[in-house]
Amino acid sequence: MAGIDIGGHGSRRSTNHEIPLIPFIDFLLCLVAFLLVTAVWSQMARINADARVPGPPKDEPPEKLEKEKQLHVEMRGERKFQLVWKEGSTVVNTIDVPRKQVPVGAEGDFKYPDLAEKITAEWKQNGSHRAATDRKFDQAVLHTDNSTPFADVIAVIDAIYTPQREFKLGNQTEIMPSFNVTFAVN
Amino acid sequence: MSDKPLSRFNQPISMPGRRLLHHVSLDFVRRKVTGHGNRAVNQEIPLIPFIDFLLCIVLFLLASFSATGELPIDKNVKLPKAENVLDMVEAPMVAITGTQILVDGTPAGSTRTIEEANRLQRVDELFNILKNKRELWKQINPGKEFPGVAILQVDRRVQALVVKSVFQTAALAGFPNVSFMVGRLGEQGGGGAAE
Repeated sequence: MAGIDIGGHGSRRSTNHEIPLIPFIDFLLCLVAFLLVTAVWSQMARINADARVPGPPKDEPPEKLEKEKQLHVEMRGERKFQLVWKEGSTVVNTIDVPRKQVPVGAEGDFKYPDLAEKITAEWKQNGSHRAATDRKFDQAVLHTDNSTPFADVIAVIDAIYTPQREFKLGNQTEIMPSFNVTFAVN
Repeated sequence: MSDKPLSRFNQPISMPGRRLLHHVSLDFVRRKVTGHGNRAVNQEIPLIPFIDFLLCIVLFLLASFSATGELPIDKNVKLPKAENVLDMVEAPMVAITGTQILVDGTPAGSTRTIEEANRLQRVDELFNILKNKRELWKQINPGKEFPGVAILQVDRRVQALVVKSVFQTAALAGFPNVSFMVGRLGEQGGGGAAE
């Protein structure tokens, strides 16, 4: 067992000491148990959205904005989603995707793999910002009914975030969702 | 078989058995070092490595310890789950339960008002609280750019109209980068924030 031996014999009080290891181990075990019980193992994450509101006014004149293609995801139909590529107010292309809900887990969660697959294919074909050095992201606008439950909205946003691309920031390259999602007001 | 050792010439392979330290001439030493023909029954528990191991666990747990709990989730909020998610960031937390809107636990409006109006609208109470938070941040961090990030903690059954109203109110109060808090579905993760 661990002890401190500093030699010396014959003095009245013993100078050799045993370190009480067993109480020390007990203390450590209590500490471990307490910390394990109070530990927070967070499984929470976030899904990003962009409100697309203008920032504070700047002194420089604004850059000339080009009309970019935007993907409008229409989720108001009961049986199908509609993907609409628009350039300004001009409709470029419309694609229908069947609304097939796939349950995930036992807590009532679900996702739309068909929609995710179609959006990925569409982005590969029509996405404007695909280079790793491109700082902009393609814009997706979500059109939803007022009474749609939030879980449904999140499942669709999750599907929109399925296509991902490389994004180079300085020397670092990260994998990011290809689209930025915002809500349509009407 | 006899105990008499066989001649090297007759038997080139020695009898099996313990050899180490058998040549020690002192009887009591030989008995001690050879285990008296048997294995020692008393075992020392290696306490020092055990304590080292415990200390490592304690240090790891202390490093990840949070006295308040990292993410307080309202018990009335049941979050949806998603696959393509980002890691959480520190930002004002707006919770939307079945009937209430809370900012960091403080009541900031009711969802009933929005539902009854049945149209997209600004939630004034929420707007004022968020605006004050923004101004406070700017006073504390002068000269720094305000990140404008807010996290919405929304119950899965809440109507999209309420979510959009709160989203719009947050944007108007100076928080245009709104994130929705969700549970992780599977292990596939996204990258950083797409701002």
